[in-house]
Amino acid sequence: METKIDQTLDCKGLSCPMPMMKLAKAMKGLKSGQVLEMIGTDPGTNSDLPKWCEKSGNTLIEKKELDGGITSFIIQKK
Amino acid sequence: MSEENKEIGILGQLFRTFFSKHWPVWVGGITLGILNILLFTIKSPWGASGGINNWGENFFRMFGSSTFEGATPINASFYGMLCVVIVIGSFIGALFSKEFALRIPPKGELIKGFIGGGLMAIGATIGLGCTIGSFFSGIPALSGGAIIFTIGLFVGVIIALKYLMWEMEKFPKFSSGKSYIFLAASEKKGNWQKWLGWITLIIFLAIAYVYSGYNPVMAWFVIIGLLMGLICQRSRFCIVKAFRDPFMTGEADGSVGVMAGLVIGLIGFTAIKYFGIGVGDVSIRAREMTWVFPHFWLRGLIGGFIFGLGMTVAGGCAVGTLWRVGEGQIKLWAAALGFLIISPLSKLYIVPAITEMMPYNMKFKNYLPDYFGYAGAFAIVIGIILIWYVFVKWNEKTGKFSAY
Repeated sequence: METKIDQTLDCKGLSCPMPMMKLAKAMKGLKSGQVLEMIGTDPGTNSDLPKWCEKSGNTLIEKKELDGGITSFIIQKK
Repeated sequence: MSEENKEIGILGQLFRTFFSKHWPVWVGGITLGILNILLFTIKSPWGASGGINNWGENFFRMFGSSTFEGATPINASFYGMLCVVIVIGSFIGALFSKEFALRIPPKGELIKGFIGGGLMAIGATIGLGCTIGSFFSGIPALSGGAIIFTIGLFVGVIIALKYLMWEMEKFPKFSSGKSYIFLAASEKKGNWQKWLGWITLIIFLAIAYVYSGYNPVMAWFVIIGLLMGLICQRSRFCIVKAFRDPFMTGEADGSVGVMAGLVIGLIGFTAIKYFGIGVGDVSIRAREMTWVFPHFWLRGLIGGFIFGLGMTVAGGCAVGTLWRVGEGQIKLWAAALGFLIISPLSKLYIVPAITEMMPYNMKFKNYLPDYFGYAGAFAIVIGIILIWYVFVKWNEKTGKFSAY
Protein backbone atom coordinates (compact mmCIF):
# COMPACT_ATOMS: atom_id res chain seq x y z
CA MET A 1 0.00 0.00 0.00
CA GLU A 2 1.63 3.22 -1.18
CA THR A 3 0.14 6.46 -0.01
CA LYS A 4 0.40 9.42 -2.34
CA ILE A 5 2.27 12.19 -0.59
CA ASP A 6 1.29 15.76 -1.42
CA GLN A 7 3.92 17.56 0.60
CA THR A 8 7.09 16.71 2.49
CA LEU A 9 8.23 18.65 5.52
CA ASP A 10 11.84 18.34 6.64
CA CYS A 11 12.33 18.93 10.37
CA LYS A 12 15.63 17.10 10.74
CA GLY A 13 17.87 18.53 13.44
CA LEU A 14 15.16 20.78 14.84
CA SER A 15 14.13 20.59 18.47
CA CYS A 16 10.90 21.41 20.27
CA PRO A 17 8.85 23.52 19.48
CA MET A 18 9.97 24.05 15.87
CA PRO A 19 8.82 20.68 14.43
CA MET A 20 5.30 21.00 15.82
CA MET A 21 5.02 24.66 14.81
CA LYS A 22 6.15 23.92 11.27
CA LEU A 23 3.82 20.93 11.08
CA ALA A 24 0.79 22.88 12.31
CA LYS A 25 1.52 25.62 9.81
CA ALA A 26 2.05 23.21 6.90
CA MET A 27 -1.16 21.33 7.68
CA LYS A 28 -3.08 24.59 7.52
CA GLY A 29 -2.02 24.96 3.91
CA LEU A 30 -3.33 21.54 2.85
CA LYS A 31 -6.78 20.65 1.56
CA SER A 32 -8.93 18.05 3.27
CA GLY A 33 -7.77 14.52 2.43
CA GLN A 34 -4.29 15.59 1.34
CA VAL A 35 -1.30 13.80 2.83
CA LEU A 36 1.86 15.23 4.35
CA GLU A 37 5.05 13.42 5.24
CA MET A 38 7.11 14.91 8.03
CA ILE A 39 10.60 13.68 8.75
CA GLY A 40 12.29 14.66 11.97
CA THR A 41 14.82 13.67 14.61
CA ASP A 42 13.46 15.14 17.85
CA PRO A 43 12.40 12.33 20.21
CA GLY A 44 9.76 14.72 21.61
CA THR A 45 7.85 14.58 18.33
CA ASN A 46 7.19 10.87 18.91
CA SER A 47 4.78 11.69 21.70
CA ASP A 48 3.70 15.21 20.69
CA LEU A 49 2.66 14.45 17.13
CA PRO A 50 0.19 11.58 17.73
CA LYS A 51 -1.39 13.57 20.57
CA TRP A 52 -1.77 16.62 18.35
CA CYS A 53 -3.29 14.54 15.54
CA GLU A 54 -5.81 13.05 17.93
CA LYS A 55 -6.76 16.48 19.19
CA SER A 56 -6.87 18.23 15.81
CA GLY A 57 -8.72 15.39 14.08
CA ASN A 58 -6.02 14.73 11.48
CA THR A 59 -5.11 11.10 10.91
CA LEU A 60 -1.65 9.70 11.57
CA ILE A 61 -1.51 7.07 8.81
CA GLU A 62 1.96 5.77 9.41
CA LYS A 63 4.99 6.25 11.60
CA LYS A 64 8.20 4.54 10.64
CA GLU A 65 11.80 4.64 11.71
CA LEU A 66 14.22 5.37 8.91
CA ASP A 67 17.98 4.91 9.18
CA GLY A 68 20.14 7.29 11.14
CA GLY A 69 17.72 8.24 13.90
CA ILE A 70 15.19 9.78 11.52
CA THR A 71 11.47 9.18 11.95
CA SER A 72 8.88 9.63 9.24
CA PHE A 73 5.26 10.49 9.98
CA ILE A 74 2.55 10.35 7.34
CA ILE A 75 -0.48 12.43 8.20
CA GLN A 76 -3.75 12.96 6.38
CA LYS A 77 -5.57 16.21 6.80
CA LYS A 78 -9.10 16.07 8.18
CA MET B 1 17.10 -14.64 14.17
CA SER B 2 17.35 -16.62 17.39
CA GLU B 3 18.76 -13.52 19.05
CA GLU B 4 15.68 -11.44 18.17
CA ASN B 5 13.12 -14.02 19.14
CA LYS B 6 14.70 -14.73 22.46
CA GLU B 7 12.21 -14.53 25.31
CA ILE B 8 12.66 -11.35 27.35
CA GLY B 9 13.31 -12.17 31.00
CA ILE B 10 11.60 -10.60 34.00
CA LEU B 11 14.33 -8.00 34.44
CA GLY B 12 14.29 -7.28 30.73
CA GLN B 13 10.59 -6.55 30.95
CA LEU B 14 11.21 -4.26 33.90
CA PHE B 15 13.81 -2.41 31.85
CA ARG B 16 11.32 -2.07 28.99
CA THR B 17 8.69 -0.63 31.32
CA PHE B 18 10.96 2.33 31.89
CA PHE B 19 12.79 2.69 28.61
CA SER B 20 10.63 1.60 25.70
CA LYS B 21 8.14 4.48 25.79
CA HIS B 22 7.99 8.02 27.09
CA TRP B 23 6.36 8.39 30.49
CA PRO B 24 3.29 10.58 30.94
CA VAL B 25 4.41 14.06 31.99
CA TRP B 26 2.44 13.87 35.25
CA VAL B 27 4.47 10.83 36.30
CA GLY B 28 7.55 12.98 35.83
CA GLY B 29 5.95 15.88 37.70
CA ILE B 30 5.00 13.80 40.72
CA THR B 31 8.33 11.97 41.01
CA LEU B 32 10.27 15.22 40.57
CA GLY B 33 8.06 16.81 43.23
CA ILE B 34 8.93 14.00 45.65
CA LEU B 35 12.66 14.26 44.91
CA ASN B 36 12.42 18.02 45.39
CA ILE B 37 10.98 17.44 48.89
CA LEU B 38 13.84 15.02 49.57
CA LEU B 39 16.41 17.63 48.51
CA PHE B 40 14.79 20.14 50.86
CA THR B 41 14.80 17.73 53.81
CA ILE B 42 18.51 17.01 53.44
CA LYS B 43 19.54 20.55 52.52
CA SER B 44 17.57 22.97 50.35
CA PRO B 45 15.18 22.71 47.38
CA TRP B 46 15.92 22.16 43.71
CA GLY B 47 17.44 24.98 41.68
CA ALA B 48 19.20 25.14 38.34
CA SER B 49 20.30 28.65 37.40
CA GLY B 50 22.67 28.95 40.38
CA GLY B 51 24.42 25.76 39.31
CA ILE B 52 24.86 26.96 35.73
CA ASN B 53 26.18 30.26 37.09
CA ASN B 54 28.73 28.22 39.04
CA TRP B 55 29.78 26.53 35.78
CA GLY B 56 30.18 29.98 34.24
CA GLU B 57 32.37 31.26 37.07
CA ASN B 58 34.58 28.19 36.71
CA PHE B 59 34.66 28.71 32.95
CA PHE B 60 36.07 32.23 33.40
CA ARG B 61 38.44 31.06 36.12
CA MET B 62 39.77 28.39 33.76
CA PHE B 63 40.75 31.17 31.36
CA GLY B 64 42.62 32.92 34.14
CA SER B 65 40.10 35.60 35.09
CA SER B 66 41.13 36.99 38.48
CA THR B 67 37.58 38.22 39.19
CA PHE B 68 36.40 34.64 39.55
CA GLU B 69 39.41 33.28 41.42
CA GLY B 70 37.25 32.67 44.46
CA ALA B 71 34.64 30.61 42.58
CA THR B 72 33.65 27.34 44.24
CA PRO B 73 34.96 24.44 42.15
CA ILE B 74 32.09 22.58 40.46
CA ASN B 75 32.82 19.35 42.33
CA ALA B 76 32.43 21.18 45.65
CA SER B 77 29.34 23.18 44.70
CA PHE B 78 26.07 21.37 45.55
CA TYR B 79 24.10 23.05 42.80
CA GLY B 80 26.91 23.09 40.25
CA MET B 81 27.23 19.36 40.75
CA LEU B 82 23.44 18.86 40.71
CA CYS B 83 23.36 20.42 37.24
CA VAL B 84 26.19 18.16 36.06
CA VAL B 85 24.44 15.01 37.21
CA ILE B 86 21.11 16.11 35.71
CA VAL B 87 22.87 16.19 32.33
CA ILE B 88 24.38 12.78 33.08
CA GLY B 89 21.06 11.31 34.27
CA SER B 90 19.39 12.44 31.07
CA PHE B 91 22.31 11.07 29.05
CA ILE B 92 21.80 7.69 30.73
CA GLY B 93 18.02 7.83 30.13
CA ALA B 94 18.55 8.66 26.46
CA LEU B 95 21.15 5.88 26.04
CA PHE B 96 18.96 3.26 27.76
CA SER B 97 16.09 4.11 25.43
CA LYS B 98 18.41 4.49 22.42
CA GLU B 99 17.24 8.07 21.93
CA PHE B 100 20.69 9.59 22.16
CA ALA B 101 22.10 11.23 19.04
CA LEU B 102 24.08 14.37 18.30
CA ARG B 103 21.49 16.47 16.51
CA ILE B 104 23.02 19.51 14.88
CA PRO B 105 20.32 21.97 13.76
CA PRO B 106 20.53 24.64 11.05
CA LYS B 107 22.74 27.63 11.92
CA GLY B 108 19.85 29.98 12.73
CA GLU B 109 18.68 27.61 15.44
CA LEU B 110 22.13 27.56 17.03
CA ILE B 111 22.13 31.34 17.16
CA LYS B 112 18.68 31.33 18.75
CA GLY B 113 19.89 28.78 21.27
CA PHE B 114 22.80 30.96 22.31
CA ILE B 115 20.71 34.14 22.51
CA GLY B 116 17.95 32.32 24.39
CA GLY B 117 20.52 31.01 26.86
CA GLY B 118 21.95 34.50 27.33
CA LEU B 119 18.50 35.98 27.95
CA MET B 120 17.77 33.23 30.47
CA ALA B 121 21.00 34.12 32.27
CA ILE B 122 20.06 37.80 32.44
CA GLY B 123 16.52 36.94 33.59
CA ALA B 124 17.74 34.50 36.22
CA THR B 125 20.32 36.87 37.68
CA ILE B 126 17.92 39.83 37.82
CA GLY B 127 14.94 37.77 38.93
CA LEU B 128 16.92 35.62 41.39
CA GLY B 129 16.03 32.22 40.06
CA CYS B 130 14.78 30.31 37.10
CA THR B 131 11.75 28.19 36.35
CA ILE B 132 12.98 25.80 39.02
CA GLY B 133 14.17 28.00 41.90
CA SER B 134 11.54 30.69 41.49
CA PHE B 135 8.73 28.53 40.16
CA PHE B 136 8.85 24.76 40.57
CA SER B 137 10.45 25.18 44.03
CA GLY B 138 9.60 28.83 44.73
CA ILE B 139 5.82 28.46 44.53
CA PRO B 140 5.74 25.43 46.88
CA ALA B 141 8.08 27.46 49.15
CA LEU B 142 5.13 29.86 49.62
CA SER B 143 7.11 32.78 48.20
CA GLY B 144 5.08 35.75 47.01
CA GLY B 145 7.96 36.77 44.74
CA ALA B 146 7.78 33.42 42.95
CA ILE B 147 4.16 34.11 42.01
CA ILE B 148 5.15 37.46 40.53
CA PHE B 149 8.14 35.85 38.76
CA THR B 150 5.68 33.36 37.24
CA ILE B 151 3.47 36.15 35.93
CA GLY B 152 6.55 37.65 34.26
CA LEU B 153 7.36 34.25 32.77
CA PHE B 154 3.90 33.98 31.22
CA VAL B 155 4.14 37.35 29.54
CA GLY B 156 7.65 36.59 28.25
CA VAL B 157 6.60 33.22 26.88
CA ILE B 158 3.58 34.62 25.02
CA ILE B 159 5.60 37.40 23.42
CA ALA B 160 8.47 35.12 22.43
CA LEU B 161 6.03 32.58 20.97
CA LYS B 162 4.52 35.35 18.85
CA TYR B 163 8.05 36.19 17.73
CA LEU B 164 8.82 32.57 16.79
CA MET B 165 5.64 32.37 14.74
CA TRP B 166 6.43 35.65 13.03
CA GLU B 167 9.97 34.49 12.28
CA MET B 168 8.68 31.23 10.81
CA GLU B 169 6.33 33.16 8.49
CA LYS B 170 8.75 35.87 7.41
CA PHE B 171 12.14 34.19 7.66
CA PRO B 172 11.55 30.45 7.22
CA LYS B 173 15.19 30.10 6.15
CA PHE B 174 16.29 30.88 9.68
CA SER B 175 15.00 27.58 10.99
CA SER B 176 15.75 25.43 7.96
CA GLY B 177 18.86 24.42 6.12
CA LYS B 178 21.59 21.89 6.60
CA SER B 179 21.37 19.68 9.65
CA TYR B 180 23.45 16.73 10.76
CA ILE B 181 22.76 13.70 12.91
CA PHE B 182 25.52 11.58 14.41
CA LEU B 183 25.65 8.41 16.51
CA ALA B 184 21.91 7.70 16.22
CA ALA B 185 20.61 4.23 17.02
CA SER B 186 17.54 2.46 15.74
CA GLU B 187 15.45 -0.47 16.92
CA LYS B 188 17.91 -3.03 15.60
CA LYS B 189 21.13 -1.05 15.57
CA GLY B 190 23.09 0.83 18.17
CA ASN B 191 23.04 -1.47 21.18
CA TRP B 192 26.29 0.17 22.23
CA GLN B 193 24.09 2.94 23.62
CA LYS B 194 22.68 0.65 26.31
CA TRP B 195 26.16 -0.52 27.26
CA LEU B 196 27.47 3.01 27.47
CA GLY B 197 24.44 3.85 29.63
CA TRP B 198 25.35 1.13 32.11
CA ILE B 199 29.01 2.15 32.19
CA THR B 200 28.09 5.80 32.83
CA LEU B 201 25.62 4.83 35.54
CA ILE B 202 28.21 2.69 37.33
CA ILE B 203 30.84 5.44 37.15
CA PHE B 204 28.51 8.02 38.68
CA LEU B 205 27.27 5.66 41.38
CA ALA B 206 30.93 5.14 42.25
CA ILE B 207 31.38 8.92 42.42
CA ALA B 208 28.40 9.14 44.80
CA TYR B 209 30.01 6.41 46.89
CA VAL B 210 33.30 8.31 47.08
CA TYR B 211 31.46 11.47 48.19
CA SER B 212 29.58 9.51 50.86
CA GLY B 213 32.84 9.14 52.79
CA TYR B 214 33.37 12.86 53.41
CA ASN B 215 30.35 14.74 52.07
CA PRO B 216 27.19 12.65 52.46
CA VAL B 217 24.89 15.52 51.41
CA MET B 218 26.74 15.71 48.09
CA ALA B 219 26.44 11.94 47.68
CA TRP B 220 22.67 12.34 47.94
CA PHE B 221 22.68 15.32 45.58
CA VAL B 222 24.48 13.17 43.00
CA ILE B 223 22.00 10.31 43.29
CA ILE B 224 18.92 12.55 43.30
CA GLY B 225 20.28 14.60 40.39
CA LEU B 226 20.89 11.48 38.31
CA LEU B 227 17.30 10.40 38.95
CA MET B 228 15.99 13.88 38.15
CA GLY B 229 17.81 13.98 34.82
CA LEU B 230 16.61 10.53 33.92
CA ILE B 231 13.01 11.33 34.90
CA CYS B 232 13.06 14.60 32.93
CA GLN B 233 14.33 12.85 29.82
CA ARG B 234 11.87 9.94 30.02
CA SER B 235 8.82 12.10 30.75
CA ARG B 236 10.05 15.01 28.60
CA PHE B 237 9.37 17.27 31.55
CA CYS B 238 9.49 20.74 30.11
CA ILE B 239 8.41 23.91 31.82
CA VAL B 240 8.52 25.91 28.59
CA LYS B 241 6.02 23.44 27.19
CA ALA B 242 3.80 23.86 30.25
CA PHE B 243 3.61 27.61 29.70
CA ARG B 244 3.73 27.68 25.91
CA ASP B 245 1.63 24.83 24.55
CA PRO B 246 -1.77 26.15 25.66
CA PHE B 247 -1.03 29.18 23.46
CA MET B 248 0.46 27.10 20.63
CA THR B 249 -1.26 23.77 19.94
CA GLY B 250 -3.60 23.95 22.94
CA GLU B 251 -2.06 20.84 24.46
CA ALA B 252 -2.54 20.78 28.26
CA ASP B 253 -0.72 17.58 29.29
CA GLY B 254 2.58 19.38 29.82
CA SER B 255 0.96 22.01 32.05
CA VAL B 256 -0.93 19.43 34.10
CA GLY B 257 2.27 17.44 34.64
CA VAL B 258 4.03 20.49 36.04
CA MET B 259 1.04 21.31 38.25
CA ALA B 260 1.14 17.77 39.67
CA GLY B 261 4.74 18.39 40.72
CA LEU B 262 3.86 21.78 42.20
CA VAL B 263 1.08 20.34 44.35
CA ILE B 264 3.26 17.48 45.65
CA GLY B 265 6.08 19.94 46.36
CA LEU B 266 3.66 22.34 48.06
CA ILE B 267 2.45 19.69 50.50
CA GLY B 268 5.98 18.62 51.40
CA PHE B 269 7.52 22.10 51.57
CA THR B 270 4.70 23.44 53.74
CA ALA B 271 5.20 20.62 56.24
CA ILE B 272 9.00 21.11 56.26
CA LYS B 273 8.61 24.84 56.89
CA TYR B 274 5.77 24.49 59.36
CA PHE B 275 7.64 22.02 61.57
CA GLY B 276 11.14 23.32 60.81
CA ILE B 277 12.21 19.88 59.58
CA GLY B 278 15.94 19.58 58.89
CA VAL B 279 16.59 22.92 60.58
CA GLY B 280 20.15 21.98 61.64
CA ASP B 281 22.21 24.91 62.91
CA VAL B 282 20.09 27.69 61.42
CA SER B 283 17.11 29.36 63.06
CA ILE B 284 13.54 28.17 62.47
CA ARG B 285 12.93 31.51 60.74
CA ALA B 286 15.81 30.91 58.32
CA ARG B 287 14.38 27.47 57.54
CA GLU B 288 10.98 29.05 56.86
CA MET B 289 12.52 31.62 54.54
CA THR B 290 14.39 29.02 52.45
CA TRP B 291 13.88 29.72 48.73
CA VAL B 292 12.03 32.98 49.48
CA PHE B 293 14.12 35.44 47.52
CA PRO B 294 14.24 39.25 47.80
CA HIS B 295 12.58 39.86 44.44
CA PHE B 296 9.03 40.89 45.32
CA TRP B 297 7.73 42.35 43.13
CA LEU B 298 9.44 44.39 40.37
CA ARG B 299 12.73 42.49 40.47
CA GLY B 300 10.89 39.18 40.06
CA LEU B 301 8.60 40.55 37.37
CA ILE B 302 11.41 41.87 35.16
CA GLY B 303 13.55 38.79 35.72
CA GLY B 304 10.68 36.40 35.01
CA PHE B 305 9.77 38.29 31.84
CA ILE B 306 13.30 38.18 30.40
CA PHE B 307 13.69 34.55 31.45
CA GLY B 308 10.38 33.69 29.74
CA LEU B 309 11.57 35.27 26.50
CA GLY B 310 14.86 33.40 26.66
CA MET B 311 13.53 29.95 27.45
CA THR B 312 10.96 30.11 24.66
CA VAL B 313 13.52 31.17 22.05
CA ALA B 314 15.97 28.52 23.28
CA GLY B 315 13.31 25.81 23.53
CA GLY B 316 14.12 24.81 27.09
CA CYS B 317 14.31 26.46 30.50
CA ALA B 318 17.39 26.00 32.66
CA VAL B 319 16.67 22.38 33.48
CA GLY B 320 15.00 21.73 30.13
CA THR B 321 18.25 22.88 28.56
CA LEU B 322 20.31 20.61 30.82
CA TRP B 323 18.43 17.43 30.08
CA ARG B 324 18.36 18.14 26.33
CA VAL B 325 22.12 18.66 26.50
CA GLY B 326 22.32 15.10 27.85
CA GLU B 327 20.16 13.84 24.99
CA GLY B 328 22.50 15.35 22.41
CA GLN B 329 20.46 18.33 21.12
CA ILE B 330 23.15 20.75 19.96
CA LYS B 331 20.79 23.75 19.93
CA LEU B 332 20.55 23.40 23.69
CA TRP B 333 24.33 23.02 23.95
CA ALA B 334 24.43 26.50 22.46
CA ALA B 335 21.81 27.62 24.99
CA ALA B 336 23.80 26.18 27.91
CA LEU B 337 26.92 27.91 26.62
CA GLY B 338 25.09 31.25 26.30
CA PHE B 339 23.68 30.79 29.80
CA LEU B 340 26.97 29.98 31.50
CA ILE B 341 28.95 32.71 29.77
CA ILE B 342 26.41 35.48 30.26
CA SER B 343 25.33 34.59 33.80
CA PRO B 344 28.47 35.69 35.74
CA LEU B 345 28.82 38.77 33.50
CA SER B 346 25.18 39.74 34.06
CA LYS B 347 25.63 39.34 37.80
CA LEU B 348 28.65 41.58 37.70
CA TYR B 349 27.55 44.34 35.31
CA ILE B 350 23.81 44.24 34.52
CA VAL B 351 22.20 43.32 37.84
CA PRO B 352 23.77 46.09 39.97
CA ALA B 353 22.80 48.73 37.39
CA ILE B 354 19.17 47.65 37.45
CA THR B 355 18.62 46.75 41.08
CA GLU B 356 20.39 49.70 42.64
CA MET B 357 17.76 51.99 41.19
CA MET B 358 14.95 49.96 42.74
CA PRO B 359 13.68 51.00 46.16
CA TYR B 360 13.56 48.31 48.84
CA ASN B 361 9.80 47.82 48.57
CA MET B 362 10.24 46.56 45.01
CA LYS B 363 12.76 43.85 45.93
CA PHE B 364 12.02 42.32 49.30
CA LYS B 365 11.36 38.83 50.60
CA ASN B 366 7.64 38.25 50.59
CA TYR B 367 6.71 35.17 52.59
CA LEU B 368 3.01 34.48 52.13
CA PRO B 369 2.38 32.91 55.58
CA ASP B 370 3.55 36.20 57.18
CA TYR B 371 0.43 37.81 55.73
CA PHE B 372 -2.11 35.00 55.46
CA GLY B 373 -0.92 32.33 57.92
CA TYR B 374 0.07 28.87 56.76
CA ALA B 375 -3.48 27.72 55.99
CA GLY B 376 -4.25 30.89 54.06
CA ALA B 377 -1.00 30.78 52.06
CA PHE B 378 -1.53 27.12 51.24
CA ALA B 379 -5.09 27.80 50.09
CA ILE B 380 -4.00 30.75 47.93
CA VAL B 381 -1.35 28.69 46.13
CA ILE B 382 -3.72 25.73 45.60
CA GLY B 383 -6.32 28.21 44.33
CA ILE B 384 -3.91 29.69 41.78
CA ILE B 385 -2.90 26.24 40.53
CA LEU B 386 -6.57 25.27 40.25
CA ILE B 387 -7.40 28.39 38.20
CA TRP B 388 -4.48 27.62 35.90
CA TYR B 389 -5.72 24.02 35.58
CA VAL B 390 -9.25 25.08 34.68
CA PHE B 391 -7.87 27.55 32.14
CA VAL B 392 -5.63 25.07 30.29
CA LYS B 393 -8.29 22.35 30.26
CA TRP B 394 -10.99 24.72 29.06
CA ASN B 395 -8.63 26.12 26.43
CA GLU B 396 -7.69 22.59 25.33
CA LYS B 397 -11.35 21.95 24.53
CA THR B 398 -12.25 25.27 23.01
CA GLY B 399 -8.90 26.31 21.51
CA LYS B 400 -9.77 29.94 22.36
CA PHE B 401 -6.18 30.98 23.08
CA SER B 402 -4.36 28.50 20.82
CA ALA B 403 -2.60 29.63 17.69
CA TYR B 404 -3.10 26.34 15.80
